[in-house]
Amino acid sequence: MTRRLILISAAGILAIFLALPVATLLGRAVGSGGLVAAVGSPAVLAALSLSLATTAASLCLIVLFGTPLAFVLARRRFRGSGLVETVVDLPLVLPPSVAGLALLLVFGRRGLLGGALDAFGITIPFTALAVILAQVFVAAPFYVRAARAGIAGVPRDLEDAARADGASEAGVFRHVMVPLALPALGAGLVMSWARSLGEFGATILFAGNFAGRTQTLPLVVYAELGSADLEAAIAAATVLVLAAVGVLVAVRLARRGRAVDLASAG
Amino acid sequence: MTRAPSWPAAGILALTAVAVLAACGSAIATSGTTGRTVLTVFAAASLADALAATESYRSATDTTIVLSTDSSTTLRTQIEQGAAADAFLAADTANPDTLAAAGLVDGDVVPFAGTLLAIVVPSANPAGIASPFDLARPGIKVVAAGARVPISSYAMTLLENLATLPGAPAGFVAGYAANVVSHEDNVRAALAKVELGEADAAIVYASDAAASSAVRTIAISAQANVVATYAAVVPTTAVAPAAGHAFIKWLAGPDGQAALARFGFEPAP
Repeated sequence: MTRRLILISAAGILAIFLALPVATLLGRAVGSGGLVAAVGSPAVLAALSLSLATTAASLCLIVLFGTPLAFVLARRRFRGSGLVETVVDLPLVLPPSVAGLALLLVFGRRGLLGGALDAFGITIPFTALAVILAQVFVAAPFYVRAARAGIAGVPRDLEDAARADGASEAGVFRHVMVPLALPALGAGLVMSWARSLGEFGATILFAGNFAGRTQTLPLVVYAELGSADLEAAIAAATVLVLAAVGVLVAVRLARRGRAVDLASAG
Repeated sequence: MTRAPSWPAAGILALTAVAVLAACGSAIATSGTTGRTVLTVFAAASLADALAATESYRSATDTTIVLSTDSSTTLRTQIEQGAAADAFLAADTANPDTLAAAGLVDGDVVPFAGTLLAIVVPSANPAGIASPFDLARPGIKVVAAGARVPISSYAMTLLENLATLPGAPAGFVAGYAANVVSHEDNVRAALAKVELGEADAAIVYASDAAASSAVRTIAISAQANVVATYAAVVPTTAVAPAAGHAFIKWLAGPDGQAALARFGFEPAP
């Protein structure tokens, strides 16, 4: 009985510790009454539309280049594939400020590639493009990992059967692999989006902070705190919390859908 | 069926928990076990170097200074939210005055230093900026601090002064504003973007410009330049208010003024 009590209270302490700050934030947001006005303030609205536009662009890039990478990692064994996997996983554990500094050293005006880009009249820092690059850098691993696992989980014999029936490689990919891996791809995409939306450290270092141009929602939280406007900071934070909760619910539903699929298939 | 954990498993769990707590506890406690006075100072980012070089005060008074630097406005918000600071050294008088008006200050607002403003460009000066008026030239990338960071109100006064000088281009202030590519969190972050060469210019404090070897300054005529006043208070959140008052007194006194002067600061105007 006591053992059980200790176990439950120890488990409860961390659960409460994790829940309390977010619950308090939402409580403040609702209790202040000014939430709607604060969400509708120009700074928050501009940041919201910038966040939606940049994360959409980031997701397109991540799917476009992440799917082939996930396919190669899932289906091809080659010398150095372990190294590639490590490189893909690295941004997951790297502090975002390190990512921002590293991006600056590559794409900055005096960076490795920045000088060459500058010659073509392209400067990346302080632009929405820098926001997108920062998001892709930190968020792509979530999609690539999920997609790799999803593609690896597609039974080979189903593909072979499709080939035996005369399907082309592109047909196998489109009609067998993608539909079967779809829940995993979707879950990875949603997690990737959430990470892009929440991206802060790399963005503020690499893209700077300019309302309407590079100031995304997480930057509003920080900037408004710096200008002593707690209400606007709480409003922007609330939008981010709601988006994050939405993402987790979506991922759970996608997983449940997948479990049902497998059960009915089996 | 789930079972309660067996005794050995529970024992290992408990031992691990104790070990982790002990490690965390000792890590947290190391800062306070020396018996020295621990003085927590919240200071404007531009004071970072000058305060890091206060060994004489630390050794003479047996004090450990714990320093937190950021924009004065960010620090003021943190104090309003209850952050414990024994001394708050702001790059303006407005932020300490706001705390005082809210009844969050113990004692007086003490002006203790001043500094002129400076226009900095990367050492190589890629944009070829030769005069303050070039800040409004189309295509120049300027970094500024956020609207409510103290440097920004001083910079606005400077820009307005510059605009009244003979030879000032029409729409100088608007031209400058159009060239701003980022509003950094504090003046040091703006300086860093110029040091990295990502920005062509920034308006910072003369003391910041003096502290950096990667930038050079563009001369500002004395009649247009602005003196920033730094002011200190002991917040009511102080854990060691006496130590806070003693430190501010030292800063405003001859030894503190000499220490600040080495980093390009002047007496308070």
